[in-house]
Amino acid sequence: MKYLFIDSATANLVVAIIIDEKIKYFFNEHTANDTSSIIMKVIADAFKTANITPQELDKIFVSTGPGSFTGIRVGLTVAKTMAFALNVPVIPISSLEIIASSTPDNSNIALIDARRGYVYAGIYDKNLNNISPDKHIKLVDITVSGTYISYDNIEGAIKPNVDILKVIKKHENSSRVNPHTLNPRYLKLTEAEERLQKND
Amino acid sequence: MNILAIETSCDETSVAIIKDGHKEIATTILSQMNTHAVFGGVVPEIASRMHIENITIVIEDVLKKANMKLTDIDAFAVTYGPGLIGSLLVGLMAAKTLAFIYNKPLIPVHHIAGHIYANNLVKPLEFPLMALVVSGGHTELIYMKEHYNFQSLGSTLDDAVGEAYDKVARVINVPYPGGPLVDKLAHQGNDSYNLPLPLNDDSYNSSFSGLKSAVINLVHNEKQKGNAIIPENMAASFQNRVVEILTKKTMHALKDYNVKNLIVAGGVAANKGLRESLTKECITNNINLIIPEIKYCTDNAAMIGAAAYYAYKRGDQADLNLNAKAVETLK
Repeated sequence: MKYLFIDSATANLVVAIIIDEKIKYFFNEHTANDTSSIIMKVIADAFKTANITPQELDKIFVSTGPGSFTGIRVGLTVAKTMAFALNVPVIPISSLEIIASSTPDNSNIALIDARRGYVYAGIYDKNLNNISPDKHIKLVDITVSGTYISYDNIEGAIKPNVDILKVIKKHENSSRVNPHTLNPRYLKLTEAEERLQKND
Repeated sequence: MNILAIETSCDETSVAIIKDGHKEIATTILSQMNTHAVFGGVVPEIASRMHIENITIVIEDVLKKANMKLTDIDAFAVTYGPGLIGSLLVGLMAAKTLAFIYNKPLIPVHHIAGHIYANNLVKPLEFPLMALVVSGGHTELIYMKEHYNFQSLGSTLDDAVGEAYDKVARVINVPYPGGPLVDKLAHQGNDSYNLPLPLNDDSYNSSFSGLKSAVINLVHNEKQKGNAIIPENMAASFQNRVVEILTKKTMHALKDYNVKNLIVAGGVAANKGLRESLTKECITNNINLIIPEIKYCTDNAAMIGAAAYYAYKRGDQADLNLNAKAVETLK
């Protein structure tokens, strides 16, 4: 089976091609604001290195957030468009679950900085079962104990070392999503919508 | 050559298939206008969110209308700027993905080149020509001696003309999007307010912030005196100054460059006052005037597909590193 994996929701862009449970290409670098200009080149490089064409793909796994709004959209637009055009099954994954795959611990608290004291947080056990749903929350309001993991500079957090094969294994048989309805999980309204809600 | 073009620079998700730069095979436009109206203007993050929700739906719709498959497409074109960066990125990523998976050329198109080439869908462009580009984000006079050769003679120094319309609309309590309604009101009112003719000089530049401020001050002063503003008359007075200065500068450029073809492009090309004034002057001065149908004036991907054909013939082709540009000069 030939799989493409994309996660562009965090400060690190992760792109991988997996063929028959083996990683044939793996890109995982801090790309921050350059993600939008380099992602397509990285994906092209991935197919070239793995020596397959997009038409041969059996599945696409893509992170739908939370994280950087623009970052999520960049990778998700690629996945949506590819899945639609080639009629390849696409499977959405939480960006926090991907981060949580970094350790074998039983309480992994994956965090993404959401500014002004807020984070996106999700808690997963060693088998990537979701213990506490992903949410937008104040960092100080997290009371659960566990291993803090984040690409961002959050006190006490270790840096992720994501285990893509573990994530894919967990989701390999998840049901496919219609590309038209595959959308970001922002977990946060836009500021304009928040203001409108307050005024109501 | 069949080009599939994508335009997502502001609040319209649009995809079109255009053959050889002039034949429109199919176009789909999904407007977000009603969503943004609640906020009194386009909210960039909401626009980006709606683009990603709709992009593949719009691509599928246009293919269905054209009765074509993606494998029938010879090249993919996209608006790369100027525009809202988050919005542009959705269209850009979709176009890059399609160009990559089908191994076809990726053609980057400047949004304003698109507006100009909307006219090529109506009638083949004749050169040399002068293009007056007027929209919510642009006010520019462009001289073209041949296909896809753009020389900017002047542009707005501050607000774009459409932007000034929207701001004036707010001051006289006309709901968003104000431009078309101000135009309508202007036709019901009289030019009774004393407003200045903005940047009335020999340059090809324009400036609308002074005129806009004059409207705001006048409304404010009248309110303090306890006098009611007559919106129809304010709209008429404002529109008359805008139309007069745009017409004057355009006719001046046509004469200086000895050009006999004028095209008007952009959303404000739908303005009735401007259409009437330019039509009258062009008849008097024996100028061949082309103004596209209203449907081609607002943002759409058909115009991008038309421009892309000539961009490609000029040798414009992007690699997969192509990035979106919020601000970009037409070259």
